[in-house]
This record gives sequence, structure tokens and C-alpha cells, in this order.
Amino acid sequence: METTSVLIVDDEQEFASTLAERLELRGLAATSVASGEEALDRLRGHLEVPDVVILDLKMPGIDGLEALVAIKSLEPQVEVILLTGHGSSEAGIAGMQRGLFDYLMKPVDIAELVDKIGEAAARRRRSLAAEADAPAAPR
Amino acid sequence: MEWLSRNRLFSLESGAGPSTAMARYRRLRRLLLAAMALIALIPVSITAGLSYHQYKALLTREAQDQIYWTAESAQRTLEAFLGRLQALVLFVANEHTLDDLSQPQVLERVFGNLKKEHVGLVDLSVIDGRGIQVAYAGPYGLAGKDYRDSPWFQTALARRIHVSDVFMGFRNVPHFVIAVSKRDPGDHDYWVLRVSIDNETLEQFLSAVTSQATDDIFLVGSTGVLQTTSRYYGPTGGQFDVLCPGKTGITVTRETRGVRGVLRAAGPIRGTPWVLVLEQQAFAGRLSWIAFRNQLLVIVASSIVVGGLLILRLAHLLASRIRQADESRELAMAEAEHSGKLASIGRLAAGVAHEINNPLAIISEKAGLLKDILERDTEVRYRDKFLTQVAGLLNAVNRCRVITHRLLGFARRIEVRVETVQLNEVVKEVLSFLDKEALYRGITIDLDLDPDLPGIESDQGQLQQIFLNIINNAIDAVGQSGHIVVESNLRQGTVEVAITDDGPGMTPEVQKNIFEPFFTTKTGGDRKGTGLGLAITYGLVKKLGGKIAVKSAIGIGTTFVVSFPVGVVPDMGGGNGDNLGLDRG
Repeated sequence: METTSVLIVDDEQEFASTLAERLELRGLAATSVASGEEALDRLRGHLEVPDVVILDLKMPGIDGLEALVAIKSLEPQVEVILLTGHGSSEAGIAGMQRGLFDYLMKPVDIAELVDKIGEAAARRRRSLAAEADAPAAPR
Repeated sequence: MEWLSRNRLFSLESGAGPSTAMARYRRLRRLLLAAMALIALIPVSITAGLSYHQYKALLTREAQDQIYWTAESAQRTLEAFLGRLQALVLFVANEHTLDDLSQPQVLERVFGNLKKEHVGLVDLSVIDGRGIQVAYAGPYGLAGKDYRDSPWFQTALARRIHVSDVFMGFRNVPHFVIAVSKRDPGDHDYWVLRVSIDNETLEQFLSAVTSQATDDIFLVGSTGVLQTTSRYYGPTGGQFDVLCPGKTGITVTRETRGVRGVLRAAGPIRGTPWVLVLEQQAFAGRLSWIAFRNQLLVIVASSIVVGGLLILRLAHLLASRIRQADESRELAMAEAEHSGKLASIGRLAAGVAHEINNPLAIISEKAGLLKDILERDTEVRYRDKFLTQVAGLLNAVNRCRVITHRLLGFARRIEVRVETVQLNEVVKEVLSFLDKEALYRGITIDLDLDPDLPGIESDQGQLQQIFLNIINNAIDAVGQSGHIVVESNLRQGTVEVAITDDGPGMTPEVQKNIFEPFFTTKTGGDRKGTGLGLAITYGLVKKLGGKIAVKSAIGIGTTFVVSFPVGVVPDMGGGNGDNLGLDRG
């Protein structure tokens, strides 16, 4: 089975790097970046398209919701989980309306997060498979 | 629930003691009473006083005018009567000589003619210049009597015509005389023609001219001797010690007779030494005045009684309305302050929770990574000890997480789903969660629910949260083997649920702060409180358009009453809520 790749976007690098390390220990391919701009640069380069992006809400530069919209416009099949210390249900609802997979609050239980990542990755795989099965658009 | 709102007003919100506030309203009521009494009674008093004095003055003037006109009329009549009599006697003296009249037959005839003209004449006599009565016509046979020393004789000689004071004379009967002196053309000596008139004639005359309004009418002679009988000052011949007025006209004065005020009119009778005196009771004793005074008294007394009762009622009503308005205003201000405080604390809590969550997440991840490493590397020295420490760290992080999530829930605006909810069902559902806890602690929970309680438009989930919080607090309050009663009732379009426990009760200070965020009395044991439960409950109740009140007494227990209006859809414009679960305090 293919390893699920995860991109963690959070300005709290201590948190992001540690979380990445823990996810690695659980068999996931996790990397972290410190801002939404960095994450978008990676996606634009098409070097590594992660299966799942874990996105903080409040960051310097573009915030989580803006980053989500940009990510979805670049790679619609990439699933995004919002992981934030800010408990605003409005932000969660706004995210859902923009294609967010789920909304979790910090500090998060690692097992719960891994489960969510698994669910998100499965959905992405289903989306990709459905896209591959679809007939090519007429030229 | 009036006692509850009062309780809140005086002990929870305003901070002023009920006795101080009640004293303030009593003072206000007294002030209102005094002000209204003054406003109402001053015009009544002024009107009554003016009426009293005006009517008194009117009656006085009227009485004075009346006695004046009566006196003047009597004076003129008496003067006319005496004047005519004097003219007659003068006429007889002028028409006859001394010799003529000295003849008894002539004198008798003249006297007979005079008596036809005038009633009350007693006799007619002729006295020569030496004072000897030379002829007499009348019933008493007084011929030959010597009047030389009689005052009237001397005065008549000196003045030509004279009306005497009333005197007794030889007959010892009160009478007066009209005497005319004439000079005889023969011997040039003076002689006097005298007619006697009984005093009775004067008495009858005066009684004829008197009026109903006159109490007393009499004549006073030149030396203050009564010429006729006075009802109040004695019979003829008595002394009347009151000074008599001037020589002409009528004088009206106010005098005192015994203890009574009287009006006295007095005027001289021209051509006589007499003064006519009339007296009548002053207006105070008159029927019209007494009737007026009594009516005025009744009107004023009725006005005071009726006005007083109305003022009492009105003052009480006004003071009550003012008190109610004050209480409502203070309650509204206190609630607004409380809501504002909740909102501020909510915003603060959200900010703090967010700021804490990030470092907490770092600690959590770092500790989690340590745990991951330790679990994978079995060779690490003191591995078990590290694992225990890490578990403690993660446990503490988890506790912090619960707190910060609850804080965020407190601040979060929750969408409300409004539907028709049966409060009895909500209470039963909540109790089904708590049955085991109650059983375990030996607590009995009695239900007294109104089976006809109407449904309300509200959010079932939030109502569950409200009752869960309150009943849980009651369970914590009673501890072991306590008793809790949950009642529901419909009162004036409002459904009420009262939760009463027989726990230790709360001090007024605790009651005052019970709905404040972070206020808790549960500081130890296995059921520590965060102090958010009742604040959240308060916010939820307000958001659902309801009211919550508490009454408690040390050693007796505590009652929470939650009420919601029937048929009113709650306005979800504001308020704070929490759906994160149960708080114990």
C-alpha cells in the first residue's frame, strides 16, 4: 500500500516539526512548512503533491482559509484538515464551504489525527480513481 | 416569583440592603403624601377660609344695614308720633286762654277731643305760673296738686314745650308728660298745659315697630335711666350704663352682651331727652350663619376625608409604581451588566484559550514524541520512569485541553434549533442520565410535574444542558442521602421548573456571585469546579428568552427557578452558550 504523504503548514515550527516526526513514526510521509506561501510554492512546483495538508488557521501572511482556497484551486483532490488553536465554529463552517475535509482543535490526540488523515487519504484516492475512470474530454 | 426578583434586586444586584431600600420608599411615600396633601388641602383651605370670611363679612354688613334701617324707621315713627302729640297740645294751648281751659267743662271737652285723636292719653291739666294745678281732666282727681318743684314744670316754663323723662308722679305709675307753657295776655303770667301719657303706650308703640331680627328695643332717658322695659337690661326705671351716641343719626356698634356679640343701633329721638336703642344678636348666632358654617364644615371635612383617603391610596400607588420601576430598571441594568460581563469574559476566554492552545499543542507533541520514542526503544535507562512522567505530562495537557475547549465553548455562539419542546420530557431525559449517580449517593429525586404543562418554543439540546447543570449542582450540593424535588408549573403564561435541594444552602455573598463566570465553591475533592457551569447556564437561559433565579438559606437548602414564556419564539440575536458538556460548578 502506498504511503500517505502529509504536508503540515503551521507557523509554530516546534509544533509542526514534532508532529511531522510523530506522523513519520506512524508510517506516514510528513513534512512541514512555516507558512501558506511556502505550501503553495511547493504545490506550484508539482514536485511533491501531498495526499493530505494539515493547515493552521492563523498564520502570518495568508491565513488558513485563504491558503485552503488556493490549495483547492491548484490541486482539487488534495484533502485539507484544519488544525487550529482557535475555537471558532464559524471558521470551521467557512472552511467546509470551501472544500475542507475536517476541522480539529489543538492540542489534538495523535491517534485521532492519524485516523482523520487515513480517512482523508482514502477519500483522495477515491477521487483520483474516479477521475482516472472518467472518459477523456473530447479534443 | 416576586420575592425572587426582590431578592435579586436587593441582595444580588444593587448591593443595598432591603431595609435601607424599604426605608427609602417609605420616606418617598411620606413625601408624596405630604406633597399631595398640601396640593389638595391648600385650595380647599383657601376656598373654605375665603368663603367663611366673605360670608361672615356679607352677613355682618347685612345685619348692620338691617338694624340701621330698623332703628332709623323706629326713630322716625316715634318722632312723628311725639311730634304730632306735641303739635296737638301746642295747638290746644294756642287756641284757648287760661281762663277757658281753667273751666272744667271746657278742659273735659278738649281732653275728650284729644283722646279721640290719640290713644294712651291719661289726663290733661292746666297749671298756673306758681305750679298749682288749676284745672284737671282725667280719671285721677289731681286738681290742686302743686308741681312747682317738678323738673318737667321748670323745664316747660323755660323751653315753651317739653317732653319729660318717664317718672312715677303722684299716681306712682310710670308715665311721661308733654307740657306747653304759654304767657297769659292778661296778667302776663305763664301757665302750662300738660298732657300725661302712660308708659304702656310707649311700650306698645316700640313693640309695634320692632322687627323679627331685633332682640331688644327700648328707650333710654337723659340720665341713662330706662324709659321702657328692656328684655335684657331690666324694667323701666333701671339704669342703662352704656354710653349713648351723638345728637343726630343712627350709630351702629358692635357690643358684647354677656358672652354673646350683639349689634347695637342707637339714635336720639328729636325733641325728647330719649335715645332709642335697638339690639340684635350678631350674625354668629343667626340661623343662616350657623347653617352656612355647618355646611362649610361638612364640605371641608368630607373633602379632607375623601381627599385624604384618595391621597393615601395615590401616594401608596405612586410609591409602589416608582419602586417597581426602580426594581425593573435595576434588574435590567444588572442583567445587562451581567450579559456584558459574560460577553467580555467570553471574548477574553476565547483569546486566552487560543493563545494557550498553541504552546499546549507543542508540549503535547513534544511529550507525545518522547512517549513514541520510549515505547519503541526498550533499551533506554529509566524507561519506565520516563514513560510514567510523560504520561503525567500528557494527562496534564489533556486536562488543560478540556479547560481551554470549554472556555472556547463558553465564548462560542451556538446555532439554536427552535422547536416545540415539552419541559417535562426534557427534565425526565436529564434525570435518566443522572439516575445512577443519585442511586450511588443515596439521593432521592422526587418529581412533581404539571401534566398539563404546555410546550414552549425552544432548543431541546440547550434546555437539557441547562437542567443537567442545575440538577448536577443540586446533586453535588446535597452530597449523600439528600433529597431533591423537581417541580413544574404554569404561572401566568410562563412555564416554571423549580429544582429544590436540601443541601447546606448558600450565604447571601455566594448567591450574589453564583452566576458570575469562574466563581466556584467546589475547590476540593473529586468534583472540582471551573466556575463556568452556572454562568453558561445563565447565558443559555437568557438566550432562550427565559429567566433564572435563585433563593437559598443556610441550613435549609437552595431553589433554582427557571422560567420560559409560552408561545414566544426566542430571539437568538445574542448570548453565549456551550455545548461542550457538563460543568460541575
